[in-house]
This record gives sequence, structure tokens and C-alpha cells, in this order.
Amino acid sequence: MNKLFSTHGRELSALIAIILMFVIFTGIDSIYMSPDNIRDIIEQATIYGLMGIGITGIIIAGGIDLGVGSALAFTAVVVARQAVNGVHPVYCMLLGIVIGAALGMVNGLLVTKFKLQPFIATMGTMSIYRGMAYLYTEAIPVIGVPREYRFFVDGEILPYVRSSILIFVIFAVIVHIILRYTCFGNHVYAVGGNEEAARLSGVRVGYVRTMVYSLGMVGTALAAMVQLGKLGAGDPTTGQGYELNAIAAAAIGGTSMAGGRGTILGTVLGAILFSGLKVGLIVAGVDIFWQYVATGLVIIVSAYVEVLQNTLSSGPAAKRA
Amino acid sequence: MEQPMISFRGVSKSFPGQVALDAVSFEVEKGEIHALLGENGAGKSTLLNVFHGVFPPTSGEMFIEGVKTTFADTHEALMAGIVKVHQEINMVPEMTVWENLFLGLEKRRFGFINKRAMIEETRRHLSVLKCDFSPTARANTLSVGQKQMLQVAKALLINARIISFDEPTSSLSSKETETLFGIIRDLKAKGITIFYISHKLDEIFELCDRATVLRDGGYINTFAVADIDRQTLIKNMVGRDVAMFAARHRPSRADYSRPVLEIEGLASEAGDFSDVDFTLHHGEILGFFGLVGAGRTEVMRAIFGADRASRGTMRLKGRQIANRHPAHGVENGIALIPENRKEQGFAANLSNSDNIALASLRKFRKGPFVTSAGKRRNALIRGESVRLYPNDPAFHTRNLSGGNAQKVIVAKWLSTEADIMILDEPTKGIDVAAKAEIYSLMEDMVEEGKSIIMVSSEMPELIGMSDRIIVMREGRVVAEVGRGNCDEHTLLTYAVEG
Repeated sequence: MNKLFSTHGRELSALIAIILMFVIFTGIDSIYMSPDNIRDIIEQATIYGLMGIGITGIIIAGGIDLGVGSALAFTAVVVARQAVNGVHPVYCMLLGIVIGAALGMVNGLLVTKFKLQPFIATMGTMSIYRGMAYLYTEAIPVIGVPREYRFFVDGEILPYVRSSILIFVIFAVIVHIILRYTCFGNHVYAVGGNEEAARLSGVRVGYVRTMVYSLGMVGTALAAMVQLGKLGAGDPTTGQGYELNAIAAAAIGGTSMAGGRGTILGTVLGAILFSGLKVGLIVAGVDIFWQYVATGLVIIVSAYVEVLQNTLSSGPAAKRA
Repeated sequence: MEQPMISFRGVSKSFPGQVALDAVSFEVEKGEIHALLGENGAGKSTLLNVFHGVFPPTSGEMFIEGVKTTFADTHEALMAGIVKVHQEINMVPEMTVWENLFLGLEKRRFGFINKRAMIEETRRHLSVLKCDFSPTARANTLSVGQKQMLQVAKALLINARIISFDEPTSSLSSKETETLFGIIRDLKAKGITIFYISHKLDEIFELCDRATVLRDGGYINTFAVADIDRQTLIKNMVGRDVAMFAARHRPSRADYSRPVLEIEGLASEAGDFSDVDFTLHHGEILGFFGLVGAGRTEVMRAIFGADRASRGTMRLKGRQIANRHPAHGVENGIALIPENRKEQGFAANLSNSDNIALASLRKFRKGPFVTSAGKRRNALIRGESVRLYPNDPAFHTRNLSGGNAQKVIVAKWLSTEADIMILDEPTKGIDVAAKAEIYSLMEDMVEEGKSIIMVSSEMPELIGMSDRIIVMREGRVVAEVGRGNCDEHTLLTYAVEG
């Protein structure tokens, strides 16, 4: 147990928080534990979770991406237009993934080739991608997304299981494997921990950082396509502020904003905690504006838990170093 | 007799896995210039850090003018009139001279800062110190010497009783040094007590009244400078043990008929060095000596591929190579163990196992996947061969002592099976026992047929360990000294005069 806590402390605390959340909200209203409600929570977690998974890799490598919300809108409207035009859902998906990878790569190249600070570079593309979404649609939502597409990305393929959840799980597993069990993933952690040491160990830092932005934005593209399936329309105004929710999911799950530390499992749990809280506050009948306050508190408390865990686990020796 | 200005009684300081100061006791008289001497790692900087409140001693007491004193932090020491002129000068580069001078001590009038009064006072202090830069100049436009003067001005501003200088002349020109000495003598004349750290013995004899020698964290002796000669001082500083450790215990493996790395006409893009020629042989330990700024580190970085070379050729076992990225260096079987471990050697977020595997990850792949078990096994084996303690793959490298962190970095490069190991200041800041282990590891490496380049500023270890020593000065190779006919005096002469 002790060992488990030392290696997976953040995931465990997120898990404990989720259990606590379930106990409390079920105590308030037993409907919280109903299968419908749980499905609701997980479905809501899908969008932020997919984006959060992508951004987790970026943050681990020492970057940040503020452009994911705008990229979500752009991807959604382009894919919506193709789906409306009758393109097969599989090709729609592939197109979306390619768009995501390309938008992410632009961010990555701005950071690596032009040496821009990630915050500024992605703030710039945040505005550009939003503008592209408006220009592409002339600010009119793309409506009439066909049923086949909507079923493909969000249909109930099994009782209580929608394909979007499958997409969420599969993407989470793939990124987890990439980060944990490939050279690229090992390099992501090393670059985020100490870029210079990584470079002097022969790591191609520029390549790693560019690719992690690209991979991260694929998560956003998947989120865009899932949301498109849920809503049935590609709206160029969608996704505003989503970047903060995605970063919050990662932060709650223990990803260090300083880089070098974080896990996909943590982010998935963070996303579930995040959406469970939203649903719970609605179930409990709390005024909708309190949700913002509660969400903020969760972010701050979970960050403080990390500070506490760091002090406890490393002790005064690490403090001095 | 008058109360001593400072009196240390049994001051000790330990860090994890290292005793940096061991029950040091001595006294400093009021108004004297007191030198603190010792080799790298002898404990001089640790003693000063304790004295200035950077960290508390593990045990022992400190008296200032007979009053028992402890400082919670550097600010408290500052307020008590105890100022340190830093080795690395810390000021806010974007702020002006007067803003830096009054930082934390701002003069106010009606709640607002009184800019005019502060500029005026800055001007006065600067003229006392015979400085010719403007109070309104930005700090980042000043030379190192000028920045130092600004720190001295700060000491005057707060009416310092004691000022410490930590290697103040290391980046000063000889003219600036002379000016600084003049100032220090003026300070002494004002009754201010001076602590002076330098490894340049000439300066000690020119400037100081008494000198205290530390060695391996312990107090050795305090001498009146007038009554002592250079040889005695050196003998006290060096001590037999280090010289004994830094020696080859096994026969040389150098095979001069087998050149491994041939460098010809190498020049850097940034202009740090040019026309560098040398050859490294199979099984050889090749030392590189030079003063700070001689370009040794830069040459090594260019060979490895960390920096670009603009001219010159490199041949590896007869084959011409060009390393334009560290990845090329790694592929060509070259390892660079950098001087700054924490900044360049390992990632603080990674465990030993991940740090050791970092440069050779591909070896632990099964299909496309890197296996944790493979990395773990590798870490155990490499950790064992470098005598890492604790040899725990899951342990975070950042929590290791300096010597063990260095062993992790060596293990990382053993894991790549590099043939050429470049060690830049390999024993900097690690304790004597760990030094001895690093020396022994170097002998292991040449026994396995590797070749080593050792860049070091510590002459005893260079002389003790190297088969040959190359001396650099101002970006050029100025001498090559064979084993047997080299001593500290020879090396230093080449390094200083070419």
C-alpha cells in the first residue's frame, strides 16, 4: 500500500476524491448512483478527457497549448461540412485526425523552430484557429450532420455504452502506452524534466516537442468529432474556454505545470472528477453559478494536495536541492 | 586582548551522504583581512554560507564580537552588517545601478520612493569606490568588476562590519584586480573585517594578514601570512590523502599505436577556440588543463556535438565523422559527462532507472515498446558497476548526494557502451571518498578498452590520473605534457603564459 501510494499517489488521491464525491452526492440524492446518471458523468467527461489527455503530454514535455478550444471549433466545422456532403464517417474521422495533427504541429513548430514561448505561440494560434473556423463557415453553424456520422461517433453500441466512450478509452490507452512504453514517451518526460540534460543525452528535443503538440491536438480533434456527433451541428463559436477545462482535468489528475510529471490515468480520473462534480451540483440542486466556484476550489485543493505530497515524500533534503 | 571579531566554535554542516564541515573552530580579529584557503570542496563556501545565514550549521556556535549569533537567513545577516560579495553576482539585470543598490532598502518620502536622494547617495558611494559608471546605468551594462563594486557599495550603504569576498578576482582583469585590492585595503583602514576566499596564492600574500586553511571540511591551521611560505601553505592545503587518492593504482593501458580520436584544426562557431589539434589513444586517460575560459569545455562540447564546430576534422578510428547534434556523438560512441550535473547531467523528475537508460533507450525496446523491466535490470547492473549507493532503480536521482548523482551519469554512459568518455570536472563538488571511487571507475573504463578525456581544474587529480596532459590557454592548445615530467608549477606556467 505504501509503495502504491508513493508511485501512484496522485491517481489514488483523485480516486479517493471521486469515491468521496459519489458518497456525498448519493447521500444528497440517490439518483446520483443510477446508471443513467453515471453514464451522463462519463459522457460529459469524454470531451474534456480527450482534450485533457492530449494536453497532458504537452504539459509533461514542458509546454502548454491554449489553442485547443479554437482548434476544436475549426475541426468540428470542417468535419461537419464533409459529413453533410456525404463523406463516409470513417473518412471524416481520418480527416479530423489529420487536421488535428496539422494544427498541433503548427503550434509545435512555432515553439521549436521559431523559439516562441508556448504560452504566446498558442495564444496566437488560438485566435487564428478561431478566425479560420468563422471564415470557413462565414459564422453560420454547419447543420444537418447525417445520422450515420452521429451514430458512428456517439451511437449506443451496447447498452449504456456509446461509441464515444470507446473512442475515449482507446485514445487514453494509446497515449498511455506511447508515453510509458516508447522511446518517444520516455523522451517526453526527460525533455520536460531537464531539456538540456535530455539534449546532451542525444534526445532530439525539437522533434519530441513538435510531435507531442501534434499528438496532443489529435485528442482535441477527437473531442471535436465526438461533440459534433452529440450536437449534430458544427458551430464555429464552440469550444471557448475548453482549454482551461482540459488543463484543469490534467492538473486535477496530478500533471505538474512545471513539466516532467503527469499520467494519463490521472487525467482521465481528473476529467471524471470534474464532470462528476458538475453533474452532482445539478443533482443537488445547487445554483448553477456555484458550479464555477466549486470547480475552482477543486483545482486549487488538488494543486495544494500535490504541494503537500511533495513536501512529505521528498522531505527537507529535496527542498534544499 | 580585544574580543575577536568572529569566532567559530565547532561548526559542522552535513548534507545527505556528505560531511561538508567538520567541527571547525577558529577566530578572526577585528579589522584584519583573513584568507580562507583550501582546495575545491574543502568547505570554504560551506563555511561562508553558514556564516551568512544561507543555511544553519548542523551543530556548533558562532560568536560575533563575543555575542552568540545565529542568522535565520541572509537578510538577517545583511541587517547585522555582514555582507557577502558573491561569486555569482546576483542583481536584477533590467534595473538601474541605484535601484539595485537600494533594493530592499529603498528610501521613502511621504510613502513614495525618494528617487533623487537615492541617486545622490549612490553617486557618493560610487565616487568613494572610484567607480566611473552612472547611478542610472542599467545593471546589465556593467562589467563583472563593476557589478562587484556595486556590491561593495551596498556593503558601505548598510555600514557593514564584515565583508566576505568569494573568489572576487576570477573574472577580473589585472587592472581591475588592482583597483579592487586598493578598495579592500581602504575598507580595512575603515576598521571593516574582511574574509577573503581565493585559490590564487599570490593574492593571499599580497593582500591578507592571516590565512585559515580548511581541508575536506576540517580545520587545519591558521597562519600569519608574513611568517609563512608558499610551500607550507600548499602542503597544508593539499594534504597527503587527496594526492594519494588521485593516483593510478593499476598500470597504464594507453596504446599509442592505436589512435582512437584524431582532432585537427578544430575551431568553434562561437569563436571560443581555434586550431585545436590532438589525438586520443586507445586506453588512454588524456587530461585537459587550463584556466577558466581557456575553452576546454567548449572543445569537448564541439567534439560531442553539443555545439557546432565551424572548421576542422574529426577522425574516429580513422573514419571521418561530423557530430552536429549530441545524438551523433552518442551514435559514434562518445559520452559527455558534463560539469554541471544538475543542469545538464540528469533530469530531476526521473528515477535512476530512467536517467541511466536515457541515452540508450533503444536497447530496451521489444518491438516498438520500451520495457520497464529492461530499464530496471540495466540500472541494477550499471549501478553495481559504478558502485552506486543506494543502488535502487526507483530512487529519484535528485535526492542522491553529488558523488552518487555523478555515478548515475557515468552509469548512463556506460549503458550506451561508448568507447570515448569525456569527463568534464568529474569530481567537482563531491567528497573525497566519492572522488576516489570516480578515479577507480576511470581505471575500470580504460581496462575495458575505453579511452578517457578528463577536463579538470584540479591539478593533483590531473597529474595523478592522466597519461598525458594537454594545456589550453585562450582557446588554443599551448602544450602537451607527458606523464612523469609534469608538476603543478609546469602546468600553471603553460596555462598562464602559454
